[in-house]
Amino acid sequence: MPALANNELRIVGFLCNWCSYGGADTAGVARASQPTDLRIIRVPCSGRVDPLFVLKALLNGADGVLVSGCHPRDCHYGTGNFYARRRLEVLKRFLPILGIDPARFSYTWVSASEGQRWQKVVSRFTEEIHALGPAPRFEAVEPLAKACSWTQESKGPVSVISPELLEQLKKAIADKLPELDCVLGWQEGRDLLHSVPLFIRSEDDLTKLRCDATCHNNLVRYLPDLKGQKVGIIVRSCEARSVVQLLQEGLISREELVVFALPCQGLLDLPRLEEALGRYQRLEDLTLTETTLRLRVDGQERVFQTADFRQSRCEQCPGELPAIADQSFGDFSGQTASQTLPPELAFLDSLNLQERMGFWRACMERCILCHACRNSCPMCVCRDQCIAESREPHWQSAEASVKEKFFFQIIHALHLAGRCTGCGECQANCPVGLPIFALRAHLNRIVSELFDGYQAGCDPKAVPPLLTYSQEEAHIHERSWE
Amino acid sequence: MSSDRFLAHTAIGDFLEGLVQTGYTVYCPQKEPGVRQSVIFAPWQKGLPISLEKATVAPKHLVLPQSEVLFRYSKHKESAEPAKQSLTLDANEIFTPTLLFASRPCDARGFAILDRPFLQGLFRDPYYARRREALCVVSLTCPSGCATCFCHWTGAGPSSPEGSDILMTEIAEGFVLQGITDKGKELLLASKLPEAGEKSQEATKARKAAWQSLSPVQDLSTAPQKLAEIFADQAFWSQATQACLACGACTYLCPTCYCFNITDESLDGENEQGVRLRSWDTCMAKQFTEEASGHNPRPDKAQRMRNRISHKFSSYPENWGSFSCSGCGRCVTHCPVGLDIREIVLKAIHAKTAQQNEKETS
Amino acid sequence: MRIGVFICHCGSNIAGTVDCAQVAAKAALFPDVVYATDPMYTCAEPGQAAIEEAIHSHKLDGVVVASCSPRMHEPTFRKTVERAGLNPYMFEMANIREHVSWIGRDIEANTRKATELVRLAVEKLRHNRPLQAQEFPITRRVLIIGGGVAGIQAALDCADGGIPVVLVEREATIGGKMAKLDKTFPTVDCSACILGPKMVDVAQHPLITLYAHAEIEAISGYVGNFSVSIRQRTTYVDWSKCTGCGTCTEKCPSKKSYDHFNEGIAPTTAITIAFPQAIPKKAVINKDFCRQLNGKKCAVCAKVCPTGAIDFAMEDSFVTENVGSIVVATGYDLMDWTIYGQYGHGRYPDVITSLAYERLMNASGPTGGHIVRPSDGKEPKSVVFVQCVGSRDPAIGRPYCSGFCCMYTAKQAILTKDHIQDSQSYVFYMDIRAPGKMYDEFTRRAQEEYGTHYIRGRVSQIFPDGQGQLTVLGMDTLLGRPVEIKADLVVLAVGIEASRGARELAEKLRISYDAYGFFLESHVKLKPVETNTAGVFLAGVCQGAKDIPASVAQGSAAAAKVLTLFARETLASNPQIAQVTAKRCVGCGKCLRCCPFGAIKSSLVKGEEKAEVIATMCQGCGLCTATCPQGAIQLAHATDDHILAEVNALCRL
Repeated sequence: MPALANNELRIVGFLCNWCSYGGADTAGVARASQPTDLRIIRVPCSGRVDPLFVLKALLNGADGVLVSGCHPRDCHYGTGNFYARRRLEVLKRFLPILGIDPARFSYTWVSASEGQRWQKVVSRFTEEIHALGPAPRFEAVEPLAKACSWTQESKGPVSVISPELLEQLKKAIADKLPELDCVLGWQEGRDLLHSVPLFIRSEDDLTKLRCDATCHNNLVRYLPDLKGQKVGIIVRSCEARSVVQLLQEGLISREELVVFALPCQGLLDLPRLEEALGRYQRLEDLTLTETTLRLRVDGQERVFQTADFRQSRCEQCPGELPAIADQSFGDFSGQTASQTLPPELAFLDSLNLQERMGFWRACMERCILCHACRNSCPMCVCRDQCIAESREPHWQSAEASVKEKFFFQIIHALHLAGRCTGCGECQANCPVGLPIFALRAHLNRIVSELFDGYQAGCDPKAVPPLLTYSQEEAHIHERSWE
Repeated sequence: MSSDRFLAHTAIGDFLEGLVQTGYTVYCPQKEPGVRQSVIFAPWQKGLPISLEKATVAPKHLVLPQSEVLFRYSKHKESAEPAKQSLTLDANEIFTPTLLFASRPCDARGFAILDRPFLQGLFRDPYYARRREALCVVSLTCPSGCATCFCHWTGAGPSSPEGSDILMTEIAEGFVLQGITDKGKELLLASKLPEAGEKSQEATKARKAAWQSLSPVQDLSTAPQKLAEIFADQAFWSQATQACLACGACTYLCPTCYCFNITDESLDGENEQGVRLRSWDTCMAKQFTEEASGHNPRPDKAQRMRNRISHKFSSYPENWGSFSCSGCGRCVTHCPVGLDIREIVLKAIHAKTAQQNEKETS
Repeated sequence: MRIGVFICHCGSNIAGTVDCAQVAAKAALFPDVVYATDPMYTCAEPGQAAIEEAIHSHKLDGVVVASCSPRMHEPTFRKTVERAGLNPYMFEMANIREHVSWIGRDIEANTRKATELVRLAVEKLRHNRPLQAQEFPITRRVLIIGGGVAGIQAALDCADGGIPVVLVEREATIGGKMAKLDKTFPTVDCSACILGPKMVDVAQHPLITLYAHAEIEAISGYVGNFSVSIRQRTTYVDWSKCTGCGTCTEKCPSKKSYDHFNEGIAPTTAITIAFPQAIPKKAVINKDFCRQLNGKKCAVCAKVCPTGAIDFAMEDSFVTENVGSIVVATGYDLMDWTIYGQYGHGRYPDVITSLAYERLMNASGPTGGHIVRPSDGKEPKSVVFVQCVGSRDPAIGRPYCSGFCCMYTAKQAILTKDHIQDSQSYVFYMDIRAPGKMYDEFTRRAQEEYGTHYIRGRVSQIFPDGQGQLTVLGMDTLLGRPVEIKADLVVLAVGIEASRGARELAEKLRISYDAYGFFLESHVKLKPVETNTAGVFLAGVCQGAKDIPASVAQGSAAAAKVLTLFARETLASNPQIAQVTAKRCVGCGKCLRCCPFGAIKSSLVKGEEKAEVIATMCQGCGLCTATCPQGAIQLAHATDDHILAEVNALCRL
């Protein structure tokens, strides 16, 4: 397309066929003069508007995007705009964390008879976009490689499971094992500091079981793939929430699952520990207490305070174990709710919009699209059918540009809206350390604000908020154009 | 005349600046802040700090970019006769001279491993060739091994020169730069760096010390044959990959993985146009070798992991006489679930074949 | 593809502010476009012929027309391309009239915008695939919900047209509100005399199955094939045995039952027949007042019933009926006027609703048609009518007009004078709304011939004066002074609201309702009977306030829609529906959860749960497509790729 004339900006409208498109027709019939910037894409229903279309437009050069549908309760299809309202409101609040001015996106309701209202909506929105001027282009923005502290002041201990408790757990698993295909746990990996998943299928496997603060993998990731098998799983509070979320979504079956629950005070942040440890050849010994981690590395004794290396996500733990355990071990009273802001989110909050976009731009230069973030996410249930890689639908070009990489990160984040249980695996497994958990933490914050403190994975009976609606939304005040 | 030169710690900036002046784009490791600190090869500009740490991502992208335009296509027609159209293809890419500074010998050896299929096979890949020819590799001797790397198992070591044009070794006040290839020697001779002289011996000592610090070598010489024998052992591969998440971290961080995919991506304009892209593929992904019919000869992750291991330690060696693994250990360091390629290969070497199993049971 | 583009001038409608020739010239350069032209009138006969001709001569396999709104002529042009042998869905439209030429005067900007909209349409068309509608058989029976006058009219029209009717009425008798009325305006003819015969017709029509004292429990299915579960609420009387003789009602010892039919102006017995002309004329026991059902020894009715029809053990039963179409005629209820303190919160027996007043005036009512005060049975001489009680009152969230109160109040004032010659009626009103045929004349008669005193203003307070009368304080806004009237009886014209349970029913029917619970028609002007759920039609006040003639007319209109629908043996489904790529589906069921039409089911494909679209149920909203994270379910011609193509064409520079 040729560049627009100087006085026009690129504004994309998604209008539902039944109400707003008709309203725009009515405005036309009434010869209601309007600015010429807006280009309308006709969709059957505002509920058809995937928020990703809006982001695609904004990342590809739109200066403004407007979605308009039937008034709530007036949807041609009954409930489409109720869903749209939730999703679009989440989207609008999500934009700032990406560095996109939320004023560049708006959604509203215009009925087929409201030609005048449509004229007002178009005129006002166009005016507002002109006031903002052309949108900054993600690929052209100055990268901002800002150094910041990712550590979070922590007083909390980390988990140490006593040998007695571990034996108790092993015994319980051994008792159950004959009726199970396998039990998911952890074991020592390449050295004592690095734990890896363990698939317990025999008593022999069971001897390798380890459940301390080095065990960071969220084993729930494996459950959907094991559907049809009878599986046991060892969970702590964060894994338990992932289990609950998958149960809510019907992706795993409760009957096929035996849940062994352990208390947890916190986990070690291995990437930071590795950084502090530096390059080493051999890790010879490890002693872990709730407060101290002693390592012997290449013959040298190294001592770390665990509080300095507690995972920041443990600072946001809701504490309480969701009620899904079949068998619980140990004392859960030490698990207290803590609701601090994740450091990566606090950092992004401290930046202005332009800086945020520059920051993500710098991050995306490092992203190699290895998809470790996605594939380690227990909630990324699309698995091999992720739209980021499919050719039909063709959401993304194979070009490894910063824009395409960013769009992938946006897909991943938005698909987690209202579903992310905050385990932080995405970020923990990023080889280049991108703070992508901030996107999810921000979405979780939005969802909590909009839907009465909703937290994913806490209530097995809850419906994820973006998969339902209410006719009157207590916390969504749609944009009024009066 | 020896081309060995001495580069003082304090002179690195000037040296690199000189290279930039002569037209090189210089890539060197730079520390990036993040939740996990990473070291990335990025274009260097005057004033930027450099790091001498081993990079998080191998510098493979300098010869095989994550995605590259093979050509642009564009269709043209006239308003008067829209049914008639012509097609233009444009593959004019300009490759600028590039210098990679302070990569590790395992990174450089990755280039040598890539060179064989891309340059020495039946077909010489013109895109790769032009990038490779424009690249000068300056590697830094590793002072020691680390917990995950194993170059010495794969037939090399912390100062192996293979793939490098220049090998630099750190000594007390700076580095000794030693020309390996003609390209490297010429560059050093043309530089204003002082001759290394006796410092070369110091560097030799440092290299020896590095070799001595390594953990014991494991013998992988039987790997090609053993892997071929257990190729059909589904149970072995399923067991080895049950924790695998099928992400692509191992292959994308790897200096030697070179599988790619080719796609056409349309661009919008008044006329129809687009690009043909070559982009990294990963054998860990379900889409790898998926055919247009939907059939995939490697439908599950076990078979795809088998592909990765067997290619590196069996089929590539059969074709080219060397492992397609430089032992950099990045796949081990960064695997989200700690899968260890060393462990899998060793297990394969000690695995009993189906025939052996049969014998034992009978 | 070989695409032809037609840029319509629409006379000067488009060409006046868009350079159509330039748009066509640019369109010719777009991908896959092999022919582009700018005809004067594309929709006219020669214009359509030119499209057909171009399809043949340029071997086009897709057509874009840039002209008016697709809401206007998309069906027209689909037929055009179909005549020339193309699939009708290989067609796209760009709206360059309503959205371009009519809303801006800058020719350069308009031309650029039109060009881009054409580009959008071309990109969309490039992703189109031929779509085929499916034919499916239909059940030619109709369900009518509500047996008021609108429902009765619709039922009789449908049945007379040969369509079997299932009529469901919540009360024990059909007739609705009209059956309670004494006379009707503006003719002052007897309500029972005109409605009664129609009710009898319903009872006697061989094609009408009547379920009285019944409610809709659940509805599934879709146009052509709905399955309806009907809850037959227990009556404790076996209607197959009850002859309606009325012996039980005479002997029933529980004589203090609330009489719903008579709006509670007098008590009745626990076992009742609503009124003498009730259809069906069957007895019903009011459980709340029956002694036997409340643990006391009684069963008098059972003893006296000559056919042994009384059955105290009876429970609700369920019937399933299959129908192809549904007419909703659930009418209205009066709002709860007792929220108004100024009218006494319902504490004063002589402040009554106009509907209760109808029962007082009605010869078949408890007073035999004598107007008397509920408090002391005396004839009122001074009657005050208060209009707009709960209508047009934004303060309580009811800004709408109830439509017919002005008229029946005039009627009631006239009838009051007829009944009590020496009475004086007063009417407090806001505006007199009498727009129908002979309506304004009627209200004038009330004033001029019957001496009704009309006071423009609201009543501020009603209270007993302690001497047996009510003091009515109000304001005469025309004279600008306060008014005080001594009244023997006050009649409130209470505003209407959607019938109790309307919202729940709407949700079962998947139709929309407005903020007040009235059902929403498909289009305010052009589809006043249709709803947004195909095959569901509206009649009467359930759609909005209207009087008897309008309700009857809408009942007939709804019947006409049903007969139109059933004029064919089969229906064609909309082919623009969601389709599942089973390979991509992970069986998470998010689409099932969101689908407003229950059009997606889970089915096993090679042992794995996958979503499956029921083609004839899908209405094409695309909510599932926006919900599915892996893009496995795609709405035909509004797929992700379609919309992405449009977005990309617009945004990428």
